[in-house]
Amino acid sequence: MQTWDMDLPELQEPETQTGEKLKSELLTVNMGPQHPATHGVLRVEIKTDSEIVAKAIPHIGYLHRCMEKHCEAIDYRGVIPFVDRLDYLAAMSQELTYSMAVEKMLGTEVPRRAVVIRTIVSELQRIASHLMAFGTYALDLGAFSPFLYAFDEREKILRLFEELSGARLLYNYFWIGGVWNDITDTQIDFVENFLDGFEKELVKYDKLVSQNRIFQERTMHVGTLSLEDAHSFGATGPVLRGSGQAWDLRKVNPYLCYDELDFEVPVGEGQRGSTVGDCYNRYYVRMLEMVESVKLVRQSIKLLEPGPIIGKVSKVIKLPKGEIYMRTECPRGELGVHLVSTGEKTPYRVKIKSPCFTHTSILPHIAPGQMIADFVASIGSIDIVLGEVDR
Amino acid sequence: MLNDIVSHINSHVSNANASLISPVEDGAGDSSILINPESVFETMKCLLTSKYNALQVISGVDYTEYIEVCYMLANFDPENPREAIIKTRLKDRENPSLDSICSLSLAANWQERECYDMLGVSFNNHPDHRRILCPDDWEGFPLRKDYKVQEVYRGMEVNPEAKMNRDDQLFGENVQKGNEEELLKRALARGL
Amino acid sequence: MNEERLTFFGYFRNIYTAVKSSAIGMWITFRYVWGKKPVTIEYPEVREVLPENTRSRLYNDVLNCISCNMCAISCPVDCIYISSVPRPKDLDIPKCDDGTPKRQVLTQYVIDTALCCYCGLCTTVCPTECLTHTEDYEFSQYEVEDMKYDYLTDDLIAWRDRLVKA
Repeated sequence: MQTWDMDLPELQEPETQTGEKLKSELLTVNMGPQHPATHGVLRVEIKTDSEIVAKAIPHIGYLHRCMEKHCEAIDYRGVIPFVDRLDYLAAMSQELTYSMAVEKMLGTEVPRRAVVIRTIVSELQRIASHLMAFGTYALDLGAFSPFLYAFDEREKILRLFEELSGARLLYNYFWIGGVWNDITDTQIDFVENFLDGFEKELVKYDKLVSQNRIFQERTMHVGTLSLEDAHSFGATGPVLRGSGQAWDLRKVNPYLCYDELDFEVPVGEGQRGSTVGDCYNRYYVRMLEMVESVKLVRQSIKLLEPGPIIGKVSKVIKLPKGEIYMRTECPRGELGVHLVSTGEKTPYRVKIKSPCFTHTSILPHIAPGQMIADFVASIGSIDIVLGEVDR
Repeated sequence: MLNDIVSHINSHVSNANASLISPVEDGAGDSSILINPESVFETMKCLLTSKYNALQVISGVDYTEYIEVCYMLANFDPENPREAIIKTRLKDRENPSLDSICSLSLAANWQERECYDMLGVSFNNHPDHRRILCPDDWEGFPLRKDYKVQEVYRGMEVNPEAKMNRDDQLFGENVQKGNEEELLKRALARGL
Repeated sequence: MNEERLTFFGYFRNIYTAVKSSAIGMWITFRYVWGKKPVTIEYPEVREVLPENTRSRLYNDVLNCISCNMCAISCPVDCIYISSVPRPKDLDIPKCDDGTPKRQVLTQYVIDTALCCYCGLCTTVCPTECLTHTEDYEFSQYEVEDMKYDYLTDDLIAWRDRLVKA
């Protein structure tokens, strides 16, 4: 089983016991599964040489709920509540990917108003998710108040989602063919007011955390992931963009109404004296993305016009034979749904390509040579949600 | 565009036998490329060095007659975005095996482990061939269609009878046990 | 680590920037002492008003139920158990509030609330809209068995006053 231990040269007895050659045995530390900095039930087995991490082995599967197996027995509509529970911090984005996959197979046309509502909601969800990432990241690095400020703002978005869908976290709001409830004018006003206040908040976060010297010292030049490695790992989202590649599905392969909206793709360029691809860049890309999301929501509100919110879908959904691989840009990266249908009422196979799973596999690569505290910073900067890693 | 990829594979890899699979007549969805299982390593080497720069995911489907392993490749370059599904079919359900592509892509390590964990496809030359989501000593491969949960795991009963939610069955029994009339009376008394 | 070599002035510059940025942060947090309303509420005394379409505990107004089984079919976790028998021929067929005839007699209607995932798929398919989500969110029990609600028992009457939306 533990083939890792075999080829560790450090484990051998040191030749001399004096001076710089003094080496002790590697110490094994288990971080997690109940560690606050692991963002869920991730266990990382760390082999440390004093404070330096020599090897980190993530052990996942503590939250494995056999979601893919469950989906094979449920009808297409019933899968949506299950997809919610993957990345429970960005449930709307997960629903979007799955329902877009089914709609594309069915050939359903989603009404214009539903498309715009979906854009608004998924951008707000991106803000909510990044706020969570920002708050917990600051918390990991020892700052408590940003966490509270972020939750204060996130609460407003959750309140809006609660009014829209009826639930605070697991929405089941995007239906196959459209959305469940219509968005009212009062809610639009609420969103606009929220955005006005939120822009000021973003400036505050920038002063409070991004420009803070202690925070910069903790994150800059830490956990650097080069662009080639990011490609080789198949990293997407803020991790890839933090490494300096302006890849965003919303721009490259526009879905919803992103092709009509004007926005930029923030890239990590070594801002404020950091190295491209380090923790600070990944964090900073998220902060810049929130600014872009605010722009996107503002623009898409203008596109809102009256009309139906759900397209024509038969009562019992039967997909034609075939398979599809659909991917969208979720807050944490590209979520892919590989849906195989054999013409039955239930999917034959649903495979979720989760960005967090991919990003967790980066950890053993960037860990060696870091301090343990820096390793905590690395885990926080890739922003994983264990519900999605384990599925 | 996939046609170019097919001819590219066939011209560079001798035994790949690549062919394009389009959706069936009354079907829908994406097209994909089918290759020979023996040529997976060579094909991936050819594609990942020239046309694509990232392996997104390795997905697998159990079609009872054969096991299909799908490699989703992508080119993460805004100038030249590409995407492809490369498939291969393994007829041997007892000991399906493929060549590992860990040396070509860092992503393959965990993806292949997951494929092994869920579908039982073993990968030759994999540096760390273990299960990833299930415990190391778990039996069976959950996403196969004929999967049955093992009964005892480390001396513990899996899905013990006392803890299973049998309400569905018990509910039927409860109704059929001859108290149907009682229930009917109760219902009528409530004015239903 | 590609840090520059630390110079004499660099050392003091570092101290200066660290103190300055910390002071800015302290000032931002300090402003929360006055002039900011608390965003939390003292829960048992003060209750938040939930939005109208909140999806919480399910309630079935059995008098309007036509035993069509749609909710049980659409439930992704199979937590709704229904049994019904055809109405005896010597009885009149009553009607629901919206005029749908009730050809079946609903003999049992049980929802396992502990299993329910509050997805709302059952309420949307209900043809007579008798199955609704209420805004009632405090229903913890000591036993899991107590979470199974039989909507035809006497408790129904007690719940009805409290639960049914006006």
